[in-house]
Amino acid sequence: MLVTNIEILPDKQIVEHLGLVQGSSVRAKHVGRDIMAGLKNIFGGELKGYTELLQESRAEAMERMIEQAEAVGANAVLNVRFSTSSVAAGAAELFAYGTAVVLE
Amino acid sequence: MKYSNPQIPEGINTSKQHPLKEFLMLTSGVLVLIVAAVLLLGFFADKLAHHIPFEVELKIVSQELLDAPEPGPMQRYLEGLTERIVSAQGLSEEMPITVHYVDDDTVNAFATLGGHIYMFRGLLEKLPHENALTMVLAHEIAHVKHRHPIRSLGRGITIGLALSMVSGTLGDMMANQIVSNTGMVTSLTFSRDQERESDKTALETLMVLYGNVVGADQLFVVLQNAEGTMKVPEFFSTHPLSAKRIQHIHAFSRELSGSTTAAQATPLPLDFPNWLSLGATEKEHE
Amino acid sequence: MIDLIILVTLLALGYGFGSYAESRHYKSIIARENRLRHIPAVTSRFPPMNNNSREAELVSGSVVISVDYFKRFIAALRNLVGGRVTSYESLVDRARREAILRMKAQAEQLNADIVFNVKLETSSIHKGRGNSIGSVEVLAYGTALKTQQ
Repeated sequence: MLVTNIEILPDKQIVEHLGLVQGSSVRAKHVGRDIMAGLKNIFGGELKGYTELLQESRAEAMERMIEQAEAVGANAVLNVRFSTSSVAAGAAELFAYGTAVVLE
Repeated sequence: MKYSNPQIPEGINTSKQHPLKEFLMLTSGVLVLIVAAVLLLGFFADKLAHHIPFEVELKIVSQELLDAPEPGPMQRYLEGLTERIVSAQGLSEEMPITVHYVDDDTVNAFATLGGHIYMFRGLLEKLPHENALTMVLAHEIAHVKHRHPIRSLGRGITIGLALSMVSGTLGDMMANQIVSNTGMVTSLTFSRDQERESDKTALETLMVLYGNVVGADQLFVVLQNAEGTMKVPEFFSTHPLSAKRIQHIHAFSRELSGSTTAAQATPLPLDFPNWLSLGATEKEHE
Repeated sequence: MIDLIILVTLLALGYGFGSYAESRHYKSIIARENRLRHIPAVTSRFPPMNNNSREAELVSGSVVISVDYFKRFIAALRNLVGGRVTSYESLVDRARREAILRMKAQAEQLNADIVFNVKLETSSIHKGRGNSIGSVEVLAYGTALKTQQ
């Protein structure tokens, strides 16, 4: 599965567009990480726990998007974009979407 | 180039777990976690607070904060009794006990930081004999002996701080309340343990002073009557149930002397009823 | 004790109405998705360069969906232990699909064949209100193209 955020691949022809595929994930870290993040807010610096949280969420969203693409018989997802939202405090919601295509 | 729009199967972006199952697992898991955390924190805070020297307590509760006890016959009588109990319990010199007689209807007596003990008229006028009064006073002095006030304070601060940190990250008011209420209810087990410990020491004191524990249960009979019909489950209460405490006393006395009614209780001084309200009349005269 | 009764009532109401609304919403989403299947939405920016001259117009769809009390309670507890917040997953999924559907419905009214350069944005109306309201807000927009006959 080819996943990219460009839309024209130099040496590949797109045979078929299969529409939008999307993957989303909402995840939270345990309360210890939340408290540590609160403390870190005094000193500044990277919130490792939350960086990890974003990475986990992103990975899961990508995974689900790819799963959708596979289900419709695509072999690549082009023009992938990410977006985030905040449904709940302390939880990260990542959303990945792109166009599923069949490359020759 | 072709554009098509095939159907994407459902359930890729959502989890299959049933929400009610998730709810049950989360609720029970969180409750267990909180109970375990509170017990652990409480245990360590208790142990640490035990090592705070008594002088610190005396400094926290300086004499300026509390009114000196008002002199009167009841005050003198209680002080005399306190001295006997203190020597019976073998309290060290560094732990001075200050007893305060309070002319108030409240049916209560309590011990607080710095070895200050408050005895309320409401309770004293219900006690039938000296043994019952000694039981009350010995119980409160035992609290001081075991450093219960400072240990409760240390524990309360630690658990309260931890709970507020946790509930601060929750973001939902009701969930917040559940977490803090569970924590508070759990921390009451420490309080009940302290009461049992003090009850035990008080009974031992009675044995030293009178050679029996006759009438020790009278205190709890009085408390039971004061509680009336309103029964709070032990789980939600700071003290063990009065009925259970009476049972404990009976078991204790059976172990020692075989019978609870073998000996005669020491009566209160004849003038005791007059002393009860003497503080109040003096005040009116002023 | 009264707190507990209120809580259980709120949870039951949240669960009852929430799951009813969700299953109804999903049914309606699936039905409309099938009806609008003839209009694909793609994220590519470049329409195919063939000789058909085309007319372009911006289409958009937006939706704000609220969390029910049951979901919010689960999410709050989940926040303590960490992990996947499953109760919000279906919510987010519904919101995204609904926004895309509304965008496609607009494209259908214009007799468009396809929507290009689809983008999805989330806003946060609820943020200004502290944590008192939990909702998902999605805006979907793209360019609808139609073949000139």
